[in-house]
Amino acid sequence: MSFFKVFETQELITTNAHKITGLFNYTTIMVVVFFILVCVGLFGFSFKYSEKRNKEAEYTYGNTKKHKLITLIIGLAVFFLIDLSITGQSNEDMINEFWNFPKKGDDIVRIEVLGQQWMWNFRYAGRDEIFNTEDDVLTNHELHLPVGKKVEFRITSKDVIHSLYFPNALLKVDAMPGRISRMWFELTKTGSYDIACAEMCGTHHYKMQGKLHVYTQAEYDEWLNEAQTLAEAGNDTENIDNYWGWKWDNTAPSAQVAKE
Amino acid sequence: MTYIHPKHDAPTTFLSKYVFSYDHKVIAKQFLWYGIFFLGVGGMMALMIRWALAYPGEAFPILGGLFFPETGGVIPPDTYSMLFTLHGTIMIFYAITPILIGAFGNFLIPLMIGARDMAFPFFNMLSFHLALVSGLLLLASLFFPLGGAAGGWTSYPTLSTLIGSPGVGQTLWCLAIFVLGISSTMGAVNYITTIICFRAPGMGYFDMPLSVWGLWLTAILNAIFIPVLGAGVLLLIFDRVFGTTFFLAGAAATSGTGDPILFQHVFWIFGHPEVYILILPAWGIISDLISFFARKPAFGAKTTALAMTTITVLSTLVYGHHMFTTQMSPLLTQTFMTLTMTISIPSAVLFANWLLTLYKGSIRFQTPMIFSLGVVFVFGLGGLTGLYLGTVSTDLYLHDTYFVVGHFHYTMAASVLLGGFAAIYFWFPKMFGRMMNEKLGHIHFWISMLGLNGVFMGMMIMGHAGMHRRLYNPFVYEFMNNLIPLNTFVSYSAFFMGAGQLIFVYNFINSMIRGEKAVDNPWEVGTLEWTIPSPPIHYNFEEIPTVKCGPHEYSNPALKGTGRDFQYQTEELAGA
Repeated sequence: MSFFKVFETQELITTNAHKITGLFNYTTIMVVVFFILVCVGLFGFSFKYSEKRNKEAEYTYGNTKKHKLITLIIGLAVFFLIDLSITGQSNEDMINEFWNFPKKGDDIVRIEVLGQQWMWNFRYAGRDEIFNTEDDVLTNHELHLPVGKKVEFRITSKDVIHSLYFPNALLKVDAMPGRISRMWFELTKTGSYDIACAEMCGTHHYKMQGKLHVYTQAEYDEWLNEAQTLAEAGNDTENIDNYWGWKWDNTAPSAQVAKE
Repeated sequence: MTYIHPKHDAPTTFLSKYVFSYDHKVIAKQFLWYGIFFLGVGGMMALMIRWALAYPGEAFPILGGLFFPETGGVIPPDTYSMLFTLHGTIMIFYAITPILIGAFGNFLIPLMIGARDMAFPFFNMLSFHLALVSGLLLLASLFFPLGGAAGGWTSYPTLSTLIGSPGVGQTLWCLAIFVLGISSTMGAVNYITTIICFRAPGMGYFDMPLSVWGLWLTAILNAIFIPVLGAGVLLLIFDRVFGTTFFLAGAAATSGTGDPILFQHVFWIFGHPEVYILILPAWGIISDLISFFARKPAFGAKTTALAMTTITVLSTLVYGHHMFTTQMSPLLTQTFMTLTMTISIPSAVLFANWLLTLYKGSIRFQTPMIFSLGVVFVFGLGGLTGLYLGTVSTDLYLHDTYFVVGHFHYTMAASVLLGGFAAIYFWFPKMFGRMMNEKLGHIHFWISMLGLNGVFMGMMIMGHAGMHRRLYNPFVYEFMNNLIPLNTFVSYSAFFMGAGQLIFVYNFINSMIRGEKAVDNPWEVGTLEWTIPSPPIHYNFEEIPTVKCGPHEYSNPALKGTGRDFQYQTEELAGA
């Protein structure tokens, strides 16, 4: 059984990851069907029309009306069966799910993320719900989130390009210096999962690893409370390095550019 | 009007004959040796990468102690980054490009269109020597403190600026690519001019063999887009050496604001056509070879040529699918996705034409043919798996995983290399006047085929399971631990395939010295290069031939009784 596990994706832990596997599987069916057609032609004709079995080849340029029609049908079949259906489905998924970011005023968890060689920094707004203030909860490597609530990330990078990658959510987005990118998901399962950097970011790229801890809402509140107390007591308010965050802008987030 | 080179006496000194030769056939051979040398270097790097993934922390056998004495032969993480960076760079720019475009472009274009040489023989020579300089720059970069470039072959800033790569190696890498760009542009302009101006009298564009079509379209893409890459790496050099900030932003930029994403746009405007730059010659070559060995006119040769042209045009409009994860505006993203998908229509036409050429043929399975059929198989897989990556939502998951690695190796590495081998086996008699060994050729094919499918299929499976790229040791991640056996299998497949290439090297060198002497037309093929002796005389054609029929005239019923089933392009079409 475990052998076949390599053919599966990781365990899915978000509300919309199955949209991606669904489209993946549909594409796979199309790929298999068309590849079988290619193989039938390739191996079938090679076998049937080898020099041994077919001494004399047909003399045709393949430019008659009938031939052109066959080619046209094949082209159109590919366009309608593959291109239009996949593109349409993907568009629908992107607009309804992955680009459908939480609106202003939604009750969501907001996280600011800073990639750096070779560590993920996460920032929670803290008690005042304003980012980049003294009471922000800061974590490295470890991200703590609740199930059943939308989470929105705003992501940037301090040095080189990184890519915030959640293998179990089937999502990744680049962390780019000078830009803020976004991602959202809603978790469905508690547990501990990997966070990775998917974009080559230097020698220790492979070590740029994080952990995602998913709690129930009650456990999460408890953790946040504790972390909040620790932050208020222990944050070094003089240390300029702790102020890498920025104001969360609800108006035009995609146009927002990280300012110095 | 047709231009014709006057005849000159053959050069007599060693230098003018073998080193600074203007003869396109000699330059082709120079590029071939150059490409095969770098293919060996890049292949060895691939094996080192696979070793590190199969046996993390174990010494690389034999060569390890020589290259990495400080670690006792174990490949260290920074060297690992250099290995995959240079593996990509070398394979694309220094192995495939010189073999397919440098060697076969140079060799085939004049011979197949009935010309005595390239339009600009001096530029042609310069093109090779600049490529040589570029290769030396690249190899030299390894010997500087901090080693060679290590930012991936895409060399995205800001990793490739001083922030991520302070060493001289990255600067030299940029310089090497820049110089190679000049060399490629010279070659491209030369090819385009030659094909437009030097076709033999009577040869229309659709009378050209499809190999020439492929090389021509490649040259056009090269001439347009290589300068874009040149500009990109030049700006990168400015950022590195002169302190400009074209590609620096955020905290990394001390003054002004550039944008690292700008480089990605510049790079992929070049980078996506580059994929087609590499594959078009292979498509052209196998379109010809399938017809030659099926003893049947190429099915819909005109549509094949037009489909290739369509793909050439489309290839310039789809580059954004490399950048979906940079979160471009949804409108751009959707546009790039849709345009990317439309490439499947002309691709389907190509496949239909190849397969329908086989239909009711009388197929001879000699080495060049089985390699060509191999291209159809692996390009089928490579092309179809591109669907997942052109689609935005699946790409969000698969981007930067081994799925991408498997996919582009199928299209760029496997298809192009098999196409290149088909070309080498097919034109070897014309190049060197001797035949390559058929039996060894067949063994080489099957080992390569099994090996490459093991490697690249395995990569796609592990990519689908979530394993991302360019990891020195993927198994620090818990979720990838069940992929260790698969990685080991992929590495074994790679070693198997690598070992199989030794058969080719042996066959190549041995045949050159001891191979059976080739007749003028060993494959019974009608294109112009087979009307002249093997190897061709200096200046190819004593008299410039006049073309009277197409390149794929086989099994014409009117030829019955003549004792052959094909006719030369210099002959009137039988029965017409």
